[in-house]
Amino acid sequence: MRTRLRALADIAVILALVAYAIPFFWQLLTSFKPEAELLRVPPLLPSRLTLSHYKVVITQSLMPQALGNSLGIATLTTLLSLAAGVPAAYAVARLPLPGKRFLLLAIVASTAFPQIATVSPLYLLMRALELRDTWTGLVLVHASFALPLTIWLLAGFVREIPIEAEEAASVDGAGIISLFRWVIVPLLAPGLASTALLTFLFSWNEFLFAYTFTVSEASRTIPVALALFPGVFEVPWGDIAAASMLASLPPVVIVIALQRFLVRGLVAGAVKE
Amino acid sequence: MVALRRAAHRSLWLLGLLAFGGCVAGQETAPVTLVFKYARILGNADPLPALLRQFEAAHPGVRVRGEALPWASDDQHQFYIINLEGRSPGFDVMMLDCIWVPEFARAGWLLDLTPSLKPDELAPHFPSAVAEATYGGRVWALPWTFNVGLLYYRADLLAKYGLRPPETYETLVEQVRRIRAGERDPTLDGYVWQGKQYEGLVVNVLEAFWANGTRVLAEDGTIFPEPARAADALRFLRGLIESGVSPAWTTAADEELSRRAFGDGHAIFLRNWPYAMDLFEGQDSAVRGKVAFAPLPGRARGEQGVGSTGGAHLGVSRRSRHPDLALALARHLTSEAAQRAITLGAALSPTRQSLYRDPEVTRDHPAMPRLQALALAGRPRPIVPYYLLLSATVQPEFSAALVGIKPPERAIAEAGTRLGYFLEAVR
Amino acid sequence: MTGREAADRRRALVCVAPTVLALGALTVYPGVWVLWLSLQRRIPIFDVSRFAGFENYAFLAVDSRFWSAARTTAVFTLGSVALEVVLGVAAALAIQTQRRGRRLALSLLLLAWAMPAVVAAKLFEWLYHPSAGLINVALGRHAINWLGDPLVALPAVIFADVWRTMPFVAILCYARLLAIPADVYEAAQVDGAGRLGTLTRITLPLLGRILLLATLFRTLDALRAFDIMFVLTGGGPAGTTETLTVYAYRALFQTLQLGFGSAVSVVVFLLVMAVAWAYLRLLRAGAVTA
Repeated sequence: MRTRLRALADIAVILALVAYAIPFFWQLLTSFKPEAELLRVPPLLPSRLTLSHYKVVITQSLMPQALGNSLGIATLTTLLSLAAGVPAAYAVARLPLPGKRFLLLAIVASTAFPQIATVSPLYLLMRALELRDTWTGLVLVHASFALPLTIWLLAGFVREIPIEAEEAASVDGAGIISLFRWVIVPLLAPGLASTALLTFLFSWNEFLFAYTFTVSEASRTIPVALALFPGVFEVPWGDIAAASMLASLPPVVIVIALQRFLVRGLVAGAVKE
Repeated sequence: MVALRRAAHRSLWLLGLLAFGGCVAGQETAPVTLVFKYARILGNADPLPALLRQFEAAHPGVRVRGEALPWASDDQHQFYIINLEGRSPGFDVMMLDCIWVPEFARAGWLLDLTPSLKPDELAPHFPSAVAEATYGGRVWALPWTFNVGLLYYRADLLAKYGLRPPETYETLVEQVRRIRAGERDPTLDGYVWQGKQYEGLVVNVLEAFWANGTRVLAEDGTIFPEPARAADALRFLRGLIESGVSPAWTTAADEELSRRAFGDGHAIFLRNWPYAMDLFEGQDSAVRGKVAFAPLPGRARGEQGVGSTGGAHLGVSRRSRHPDLALALARHLTSEAAQRAITLGAALSPTRQSLYRDPEVTRDHPAMPRLQALALAGRPRPIVPYYLLLSATVQPEFSAALVGIKPPERAIAEAGTRLGYFLEAVR
Repeated sequence: MTGREAADRRRALVCVAPTVLALGALTVYPGVWVLWLSLQRRIPIFDVSRFAGFENYAFLAVDSRFWSAARTTAVFTLGSVALEVVLGVAAALAIQTQRRGRRLALSLLLLAWAMPAVVAAKLFEWLYHPSAGLINVALGRHAINWLGDPLVALPAVIFADVWRTMPFVAILCYARLLAIPADVYEAAQVDGAGRLGTLTRITLPLLGRILLLATLFRTLDALRAFDIMFVLTGGGPAGTTETLTVYAYRALFQTLQLGFGSAVSVVVFLLVMAVAWAYLRLLRAGAVTA
């Protein structure tokens, strides 16, 4: 009985691995397949590998600029979100905040907010402030959307900090800024890393606002550049595959190198109340 | 302390020098960059870069940057309206699908070209192309390329069975049955066209409406003036798919998917635009020398078949910082020489009628004079500023009828109701 | 109130000031504005801007496309979440049984979750290609028109979404499973519980709370889903994959009907909030009895 269940589990794991590995590898293979062989399958494997799709993507498409835009916007969003979120999380977790229950309710409600609900007024707002097609506009919108979750996560991490550390610091006569700088933030570091990663990924992957508020390569992000990839009458599958590979690079790096923090952030978001 | 003050003075001087130098440098001509947005052109050799360089050579100090649009017409339109709605769109000359010109003119995004045009400057172009560029009695764009819906057919197959190109759809269906019975080739489809849910679907359905003696908008603005005939036309199209005359994938087919099927020799009839002909006559084409075109068929108890016209115009953004240069670029690209280069290099048809009998062009494309006749007979889609609203509203209904999840009568009725609600705010 | 407390309260207000400002300006204010917009007929291209009361809502109540989109949203949400939860739990349990290869499995799952939805959409668009897609090549003569057949398109989109988001549930469950101390299982074994018994009477109940949370997150995300169906099918064929968010977006930005589109957006907003409220009550009730 035990071995049969074990065998079932093994099969399940193999199925999962196959289901998750094959799409990536097929897309990777497609990005190296010569144009003429793309639509002539079978045979599945190409006769030779080519870099032509990558060449097109890097030299002729907007992907390189989009990569730069995404990097900049995601980084700024993360920084802004953390800058506003850390103090707020501390206040929510540790300080006697007037109207705390109301604020908490607003924060929880904001995490459920559908983006489609605010995209039309934000469109008019961006237009009025002439922030369309700028990094600023998108960073502000992304940061405000990421803030509730950031605060929620960070508040949980702040509560993990032993109160003795703070009391020791205030006994030493530290003001609030020093408290943050020398006690809170260092102790919060792993939680900060997890939250930062989640925020970065959210901004990198965000599509609806980016699609609506970006006009040209001045601010277009990766998901939008990929969705609007130009073909003539027909779809350039090889080029799109190459662009997809490039667009996945930071997530790949994060997953492989920083997996621990990522998982921690995901779990913290669900486990902490 | 003294050293600090001296350093401050020195840096102030340096700054002043730099500012002065910058001013002087700025007074020399800063290069003017015009941005030209267009969809990449299909064809053997893209003639656009050469034309843009030609313009740069004729206007020293001006650089032209060509930027690609997304590939589907609906995506291009959405791109334009999201961007033009803002203050400065960042482009000067735009390639516009002819159906967008009235809308963009109404919205105030296009520069009124009427005062800058010479009288009769647009006379060499097709009248329908000029009509599509005009709104409220003023001209808003220059005609650039032209399209008209055609029926392509395998001349070799028809000749083999002693058939002439069909003049009615009923005849076409008969011919498909005969040829398929004779050929006994399971991969040979009958009639392929564009049934995917996009602008192309509306074109195909409109052509079916016109053949059945009805239209989507009457002169007085009534929506679906003859709903029974409209439903009948939709039912006929659905019937083509149900009976197998058209393959099931027609409902996902756009221009390229249908062209490829026909170009690989897997279809007898194809409805498409003139660009496809060049691709069929290409070196590696499986149907080289076997393809001919004819006017679209009509219905037996309806009217003669008429192809929808289409094409692209070049407009100048009203917020362009260099309107005169932008207009000059548009004029250059729509000039006779440029249109000839585009016709020869790419698979696009010109809007200037003279080019259809031009010796250089007819040498490479002998069917041009016939195409001109068909183009003159073509009929434009409704030239109203709310055409896109109309198209976006009817697309899912037509698609639902075509795919068989909604009876045609209900599709027409619901499309009419929704259109009525939206248009009442706009008319 | 002591001086210390008063100082703390001041500090607290300063700490949350930027957040309140940001949320107020970019979430709350637009949230109210969209309600106002939905009561108008607003079409910038045609300079239409007039108050229309509940006209848009009255039209939506009888609009077949709206109800079709609502139905599609419901089917997508229920199907997607059900599959994700079941497969997620199964994946977590399966990974836990492995000694080696856990990290590889987790990495692959995380990668699918971490990449942009647009990348996943393009991936599946290529896999679903009618002639050159891997799936149809494998099916050979029984090839299916995945994104063009109205009966198959929505399941195809659901499958793509489940592929992308199941890892979220799997990771959460896996982390929770790791936290279950070994002596719980030992005690069960001593009591003579079989593998299946352990599963149903011990493991699953312990997973209960986190599953409820995961289901809450995933339900809200599925109701708001936009990227995957917009890029994969655009809402077609024939509107069979058009959810309320896609309908709202098309109304807003394909034709710039800001009033009507806002009305559809408000419906999505209310729906999501209602579901969130219902779940939270469930959670709180569960917390009281637990």
